Order: sequence, then C-alpha cells, then structure tokens
Amino acid sequence: MGAWLRNNWISITTVFVLALAWEIGGHLAPTSPLREAPIVPPWEYVFGPALIGMSDYWKIQLFAPVPELGGARTYFGALLAMGYHSALTLFRVSAGLALGALIGVGLGLVISVSEVTRRMVATPLHIIRMCPLLAMIPLFQFWLGATNWSAICYVAYGVGVVYFVGTLNAVANMPRHYIETAQTLGASQLLIYWRVILPAIMPELFSSVFLTLGLAWSAVIGAEYVGVESGIGRMIIWAEFFSHTGRMVLVTIFIMLYSTLSWVVMRSIAMRILAWMPKAHGQINPLS
Amino acid sequence: MSGLPIRIEHVSCSFTHASGTVVDALTDVSLDIAPGEFVCLLGRSGHGKSTLLRSLAGLNPLTSGRITVGGAAIEGPSAERGMVFQEDTVFPWMRVQENVEFGQRAQGQPPVKRALSARHWISAVGLDGFAHSWPKELSGGMRKRVAIATVFASGAPILLMDEPFGSLDYVTRMDLQNLLIDLWTRTRRTIVFVTHDIEEALVLAQRIVVLDRGRVVDDLPVRLAQPRDEEVRAQPEALAITKTVLRHLGLARPGRPAAAA
Repeated sequence: MGAWLRNNWISITTVFVLALAWEIGGHLAPTSPLREAPIVPPWEYVFGPALIGMSDYWKIQLFAPVPELGGARTYFGALLAMGYHSALTLFRVSAGLALGALIGVGLGLVISVSEVTRRMVATPLHIIRMCPLLAMIPLFQFWLGATNWSAICYVAYGVGVVYFVGTLNAVANMPRHYIETAQTLGASQLLIYWRVILPAIMPELFSSVFLTLGLAWSAVIGAEYVGVESGIGRMIIWAEFFSHTGRMVLVTIFIMLYSTLSWVVMRSIAMRILAWMPKAHGQINPLS
Repeated sequence: MSGLPIRIEHVSCSFTHASGTVVDALTDVSLDIAPGEFVCLLGRSGHGKSTLLRSLAGLNPLTSGRITVGGAAIEGPSAERGMVFQEDTVFPWMRVQENVEFGQRAQGQPPVKRALSARHWISAVGLDGFAHSWPKELSGGMRKRVAIATVFASGAPILLMDEPFGSLDYVTRMDLQNLLIDLWTRTRRTIVFVTHDIEEALVLAQRIVVLDRGRVVDDLPVRLAQPRDEEVRAQPEALAITKTVLRHLGLARPGRPAAAA
C-alpha cells in the first residue's frame, strides 16, 4: 500500500484536486430557482440529501419504509433501491456481454472456415458496423418489448458485432505456419480450431473484451433511458423528471464505479488466460 | 527403420502472381528418396527448394506430376510427414510438454502414453527440466529443440525441414546440427532438409540434391564419415562436392576447372 501510494501520488493528487474544484464550483455556482436542485451539487449534498432521497425509489413494503406510501426516507431504503436497480443493470450487462461474445466469436470462427463465406459477409457487416447502436434501441424495443430480455439482446447485439469483426480479423491475421504445423502433425480441423486458432486469437479477442466493456455499459444505460422501466439508467431519468441533480450525479458515480470494477475483473481474468504471452514483442498487449 | 519410400514423378508447379505473371517454381522434378535417407535440398533462394518441400508436405498443390509415399499418392498434409519450419512454430500458448505431445494427441493417443513419450523426447533434445516452461521462457535455439522433439514425438517416419536453423547464430546452429544427426542416427527416419548453406549440407547429408531455377541439376552422394567435423570437411572428397555445388550456384572462380575430382 505504501509503495502503491508512492508510485501513484501524482494521479491521486490530481483526482483529489478535481474533486475539490467540483466542491468549490458547487458553492460558487448560483442555486437554481428550485431549492431542491443546486446546478452543481457539492459533495455534502450528493452524499446527504441526494443519497437519502434515493429511498423514494424503494417500492416494496419490506425491510424499509416506502416514502411513496407516506413512510420516512431512510439511508437503508436508499441503499436497497440502489442495490435493487444496480443488480438488474449488472445482470443485463453481464448476460448481454456473455451472449454477444459467445455468438460473435462462434459466428466469426464458423465464417472464417472459407474465403467464400468471408467475402459473403464482408460488405453487409461493414454496413451493420456503420449503423449507430443507439439508433437501434426503439426497433429492439418494438420487437422484444421494453423488457429485461430486450435489453440483454440489445447489449448482445452491440458487443456481438465487435466480437464478430474482431474474430474474423484475428483469424485472418494469425500466422499461417501455426496451422500448417498442426496439419503436418495430423491434427483434425476441430482440434486445430480448439487448440490452435482459438488460443492464437485470444490476445486480440481480449482487446475486443476491453473495447466492449464500455460499449455494453453505454448500451444498457441507453436501453434503460429509452424504455426499460427499471435499472440504474432508469434512475437517472426519474431523477431528471424533478431536476434532482444530486441524484443524477450519485447514479453516475455508481455507474463509473461499476464499469471500473468490471474492467479490473476482466483484467485479472485476461492476465490469467494470457499468462503465456511474451511481454512487449511488437504486438499490442491488452494488459498494459 | 520405417519403410516408406518417397517417389517424386515429373512434378511441376507454377504460381500466378497478382499481377498476372506466371512463375514456374518447379519444372519436371523427379526424385526417389529411400527410407531412412538424409537428403539435403540445396540451391539459391527462390529456386524451388521450399516449394518442393511444401509439396512433399502436401501444403502446396501441384500443377502436374505426382508424389507417392509408400506407393500411395499424397493428398494434403498427414501425420506420416512431419514438418519443421524456419519460423518459430512452437505454440506459445502451450507449455513445452503440451507442445511435444501435440502430434500424439492429434492421433488420439491416451494421455499417459503421450506424456511418457513427450518426456523421452524432451530429454532426447536436452531440455530436461523445461517440460513445464512456457516457450517465452526459452531461447530461440531451445524453442527449435522443442520443435524437433515435437516432430520426432509425433512418430512421423518422414521429417521435412525447411531451413529450420536459418535464423539461429553460428554456435547454436552447430549444436542443433549435431543433435539432429544424433537423433537421425538413432532413429533412421527419412529426413529431407532444405538449406542454402553448403557447409550445413556437408555436415548433415547422405545425399545432396541441387536445385536450380526449379530443376534438379545434380544429385551428389556424400560418402563422408560422421561426425563431419572441420577435418572431415577438409578432405578432398568434401572439397570436390563443395566445388561442384559452387559451380551449380554460379559461384565457381573463373580460370580454374571447377570439377577437380
């Protein structure tokens, strides 16, 4: 811990100064006509009235009082509400990522089998990639309803395209002589896919993983903004109805925490799976 | 000794470049290689050595002619013809032992049997104690040893080597040449070895086949005793072979009759 502090004191100081600047800004900025909502909410407001206000979103008459039915606002109720909606969103992100990765990589490997199939998908894929992801939300909700399943499919679609393209490129770029060596050792096509091609493209796939983490979070929050009536992204919309700036900042901080956490988890998984990779050998190392 | 004679009959091979020009890489090549022979294919770069070797491996379609191994025409790569490439082909995502086991795994051998055999070959190439290392932890020469162990452990009676030591330094190359001769003497597998280095061919081969512009221009037996140290390579017979090969490569000194012997 001491060493970590010594190595990172510049970054830590920067973060601290930025937080301080926000606090000063919060006190200098004029308050809006609505007394409840400072334009730049200072920290004591965010973690005070804004945090306890989150208990407004607790709707189950269990564990904590429900303010909607005349109950008191409590910190415990606020945490329950945050926890409930966070869990929903986290579930959508992870299920969408897993589904998208599975389908994207699987499809990419299948298409890579022949030059003909690769050419077949090249142009349509390019068009699909150019289509802005957020523009697809209404269509997905029309097809699948504003449900959990719809949000998961939407995230899966968004990241799946990235995994698909990433897999196609990685297979096309991998050194041929690995495959040829396996062939002259008598390996079947299946063994080559499983033990040669898949591990060979793993470093590039992990670049896609880190790329899609941010994308998945944007996609799920977007889906919750537009239609799905629950989740942490929906909480921001509820806060916006009454100009609860403090609550908006609070939720945003939570989202930042979650996406950072998911990045750290992925990084440690990548470190384990890519333990065989030589450090810095011309190739881009997704771990650095 | 494994009895799979190789017969190359009137093989031609041409490539069409993207620009449309047709290049004849091999023209009417015929060659018989007996089981257990160590043959070096020698020639300038771009004169068809690698194309011939890749054709033998089944990695390269022929334009005409045919290649048979033990009487059967080859169709694509097979476990009976293992190949060692010039590039680093040891799988970096597998530990040394997993690499060496790969051929036997491909042939469906049970784990215990292939582990035993892998241990044997890892030891035979002098890598005792490195079975559980990652390839990134080894030097380039050691990784070549892994590649050699892998191809021997796969049990292939025919081993094809495409300038395997080309990227190594002089001392490492000599070490590996000695290792290869040692393994060949003990196992008598058929080895077809591509090189552009006359000295390497003199150290290794029982027979040197010289290729020039895609044709076989000479087929020289090398009847020198092993080990072929610098004294053996200085004998008149060795010098005669060197001079003949130099003449074929267009490097004979003018004003001096090349074929003295």
